[in-house]
Amino acid sequence: MGRIRWTGSAAIALGIGAVFHALDLVARGIQTGNIPVANFAESLSFLAWLIALITLVLIVKFRMAIIGAVVGPIVTLAALIALMTMQNARLVLPQSLRSIWLPIHVTLAFLGYSMFVLATAVSLVYLVYESKLKAKRTMRPANSDVPSLEKLDRINYRLLVWGFLMLSLAIVSGAIWADATWGHFWNWEPVESWSLVIWILYAALLESRLTVGWRGRRAAALTIVVFSVLVGSFVGLSLAFPGKHGGTFG
Amino acid sequence: MENTLFILGVNHRTAPVAIREQLAFAEAEVAPALQRLKLATGVGEAALLSTCNRVEVIGVTSDPDRAEEEVVRFLAGDRKVERAAFGDALYHFSGRDAVRHLFRVGASLDSMVVGEPQILGQLKLAYAQAAEAATVGLVLHRAFHKAFQVAKRVRKATLIGHGSVSISSVAVSLAGQIFDTLGNKTAMLMGAGKMAELTARHLKALGIESLLITSRTFDRAVALARELGGTAVPFENYKPYLRIADILIGSVSVTKPILAHHDVEAIIRERKYRPMFLIDLGVPRNFDARLNEIENLYLYDIDDLDAVAQKSLGEREREAEKAEEIVGEEIEAFLKWLAELEIVPTIKDIRVSVERLRDLELTRHRAWLKTLEPAERERIEMLTRGLVNKLLHRVMAGLRHHDSNSPDALYTAEIARRLLGDSTDLNLASIEADDLDDDLIEDSSDDDPL
Repeated sequence: MGRIRWTGSAAIALGIGAVFHALDLVARGIQTGNIPVANFAESLSFLAWLIALITLVLIVKFRMAIIGAVVGPIVTLAALIALMTMQNARLVLPQSLRSIWLPIHVTLAFLGYSMFVLATAVSLVYLVYESKLKAKRTMRPANSDVPSLEKLDRINYRLLVWGFLMLSLAIVSGAIWADATWGHFWNWEPVESWSLVIWILYAALLESRLTVGWRGRRAAALTIVVFSVLVGSFVGLSLAFPGKHGGTFG
Repeated sequence: MENTLFILGVNHRTAPVAIREQLAFAEAEVAPALQRLKLATGVGEAALLSTCNRVEVIGVTSDPDRAEEEVVRFLAGDRKVERAAFGDALYHFSGRDAVRHLFRVGASLDSMVVGEPQILGQLKLAYAQAAEAATVGLVLHRAFHKAFQVAKRVRKATLIGHGSVSISSVAVSLAGQIFDTLGNKTAMLMGAGKMAELTARHLKALGIESLLITSRTFDRAVALARELGGTAVPFENYKPYLRIADILIGSVSVTKPILAHHDVEAIIRERKYRPMFLIDLGVPRNFDARLNEIENLYLYDIDDLDAVAQKSLGEREREAEKAEEIVGEEIEAFLKWLAELEIVPTIKDIRVSVERLRDLELTRHRAWLKTLEPAERERIEMLTRGLVNKLLHRVMAGLRHHDSNSPDALYTAEIARRLLGDSTDLNLASIEADDLDDDLIEDSSDDDPL
């Protein structure tokens, strides 16, 4: 009983946070006249908000309170970093980015990333629970609200499917936008190339489940590996080629 | 003391089943037995709790020793058991100890498996049967409802009912940690042992989609399949079915494990790595322990399951300590009520007799009083009433605030009654309920039956 009450309060707190966060995003959006992704801090803030939103869905609709425990601190940290690095100066969106394609492309890409973040969190939880069951160190049986391995695996899969779908649409919308702006669908710039690599990796991950049936432990481990590549490529790209690809994120 | 709760009986710790079954009452026998008990003994209020693990008479008496003697004689006669056969196994409690025992039984602290939930239902049934037999009075009514409340409070405030404590329930709870639903799963029983059957019943109750049963003796498999609603599979031909079994329960008598590592690995691949849960209830073990290394396969043998059960039992026992504290608090509350029940007539008694003294004095001076002005008469009336009230207030405050946990409270009440009361003229029935002080009748709205 106690646990359920705490879970409820945590979810409500997260929800209230998301509402205020949304107000901030809207205010910033009005300021720039577009979605608030004018710099790194704003982009991070937007991404953190999307992750919090999907986490809420997982907690409320799928009863996965434990995911909140994993993602909650990450989102909070991301929001704090965004807050601290946020410049107070009035942000102006570069001329080249002022387009209807910006919100479409960025929102799709960020939704995809959010799904991948959550799939990774779910996979981490899966690996912890799984190793406990294997080692016969079961969780306290009183923990009946712990999701089953089967459920964690299924949610992981669904998040990956949705994330993959969003990423695909983000790449397509980016290509259309690039064509409209520069006259070429594909320019082989670093972010484009790496997006393609990431897309292929996620495609392979889904393929392995559907054909040879890599699920459970192996799927969870691979989800984490592919996500590490995703994060690594972002960090590497933003260090090696700052200012490319709109100069905001990567 | 007028109303003393007493309990007399045997349970799983004091008596072997051979004695318990002789003393037991079938459900339909209880109410008639209570009426016989009422006729045969001087016990006015009584209930009978008869379960597999205990037979207890719970009653109210003014003389516990005599009541116990009578009840033992009644039990021996009614159940046609030699008194010597169960005399040593009997326990008897009265007063505070009886209240404690009743509360502990209801809260499942006296159960064979601490925290098991059935006992509360059985106690509620015992109460209903006693009510049916019209052997429940004020005290027993209150005692039972308090016991139900205590049980509820213990369940809410502690984890006494948590965790799986039997092999089969541990197996089923583990299945719940692996599989999200059993509604689309298949379990296969290899060997139809008692514990395997119990586990299968559990799984069936939780809605497992299909149940395959194979056994060295095919007839046994068929019989069990019919009983549980499963499908029997010939033992020579069980292998092809392994790949559709999500849960495999082994209880075959074997000399060496029946499933080879590479066979099971192939099965898992064929299943596209859908998880398998292997429950090995056999001794010697049916499944090779190394099968647990196979991806997405979880193997628990009987010792693994027992370890989980013992852990839960240990946790329940720790929770039981908290429960005992709750029981302790509630005993005090109940005894306080009981003591006040005794004091209420005393207070009424004293008030009546003192009022009578006042009337007497006023009557004696009637002639003189008549010579006074109405205002002065009124004054004298007020003066005497004030005097009486002040005097009574002190006595009553003394009675009520006396530590009613101590037996002294009742002696004090008795002394007060003797000094101030006039019990020979007392007619309790003639006193309206309105005369009772409200705070002496505790609000009982929170303990509605069941």
